[in-house]
Amino acid sequence: MATHDHDHEHPKSADEPAPGYYEIMETALRELLIDKKLIGPGEIRRQIEVLDSRTPALGAKVVARAWVDPEFRARLLANGRAVCESDFGISFYDDTQLIVLENTEKIHNVIVCTLCSCYPRPVLGLPPDWYKAKEYRARAVKEPRAVLSEFGTDIPEDVEVRISDSTAMVRYLVLPQRPAGTGNSTEEQLAALVTRDAMIGVVKVNLENRNTL
Amino acid sequence: MNQTEALVKRLPNDIGGLPADRIQQTDHQLLPWEKRCHALADVLDFHKIINTEEKRRGVEQLGGEMVGKLTYYERWIVVFAFILFEKGILTPDELAQKMKQVEARNNGQAIT
Repeated sequence: MATHDHDHEHPKSADEPAPGYYEIMETALRELLIDKKLIGPGEIRRQIEVLDSRTPALGAKVVARAWVDPEFRARLLANGRAVCESDFGISFYDDTQLIVLENTEKIHNVIVCTLCSCYPRPVLGLPPDWYKAKEYRARAVKEPRAVLSEFGTDIPEDVEVRISDSTAMVRYLVLPQRPAGTGNSTEEQLAALVTRDAMIGVVKVNLENRNTL
Repeated sequence: MNQTEALVKRLPNDIGGLPADRIQQTDHQLLPWEKRCHALADVLDFHKIINTEEKRRGVEQLGGEMVGKLTYYERWIVVFAFILFEKGILTPDELAQKMKQVEARNNGQAIT
């Protein structure tokens, strides 16, 4: 989206649809808050830039580092937020903790927010619509294997599927398993394999599942 | 459990474990106003005016019908308005006046 130097709206041109009720409400609320000096005139625009800077590519870098550097992985699993901040300079603009959940031969992790749409936004950006929708939120905790199969993911019966339900304060990120056959790959090549959905836990990382973001 | 008991025990947001349809693997690019609404949520949180939990609870209090019929960011912006009224930061009249102005401006009319 094009960024704008100032926050006020321009009169809409004739070929743009008229803003609807809720968009007008958004503009009105924002302007009232600025008029009352409760928020600064440039703050919304700056926060949009922050939001635009967060994509799954950030999370993928963290995952790839964890695959190649055991010392880093141990620190990441101990304190996800602090390590993302210190080693990658990822700012946690919201007041949340990050718990990184490691997939192993025996455990496959999946994240959900049953109550709303909590998501590790500082490292993945905004969640996809299906993550926020009723179907995923309702079913992920009840029949995770059926949900996973709808994403084309079949987890063997002897692997525990573990669902973590996010909250306003605690967010999760799945550390997927490193795929076999990547022994010679560089950290950068590995990062390119890691998709958003793998860090939510609904798919595994595999060599055919390359990141197209 | 009778029907009203179920209503008490399950607020509209509390849907974990309920039966639901197949997952539709949908996504969309946010509209500009939706992205501004998201940024507003973050900025309101930074300034400790409305935090994430207040927002979530506000959505819950919209009740099942509004939760079902409004889109995701429509719910958010309505909740922000309600919470700002509750906290005495804005009045409904102020918002109504401002919305009229914005609408007039959008239509290229003079602001009164």
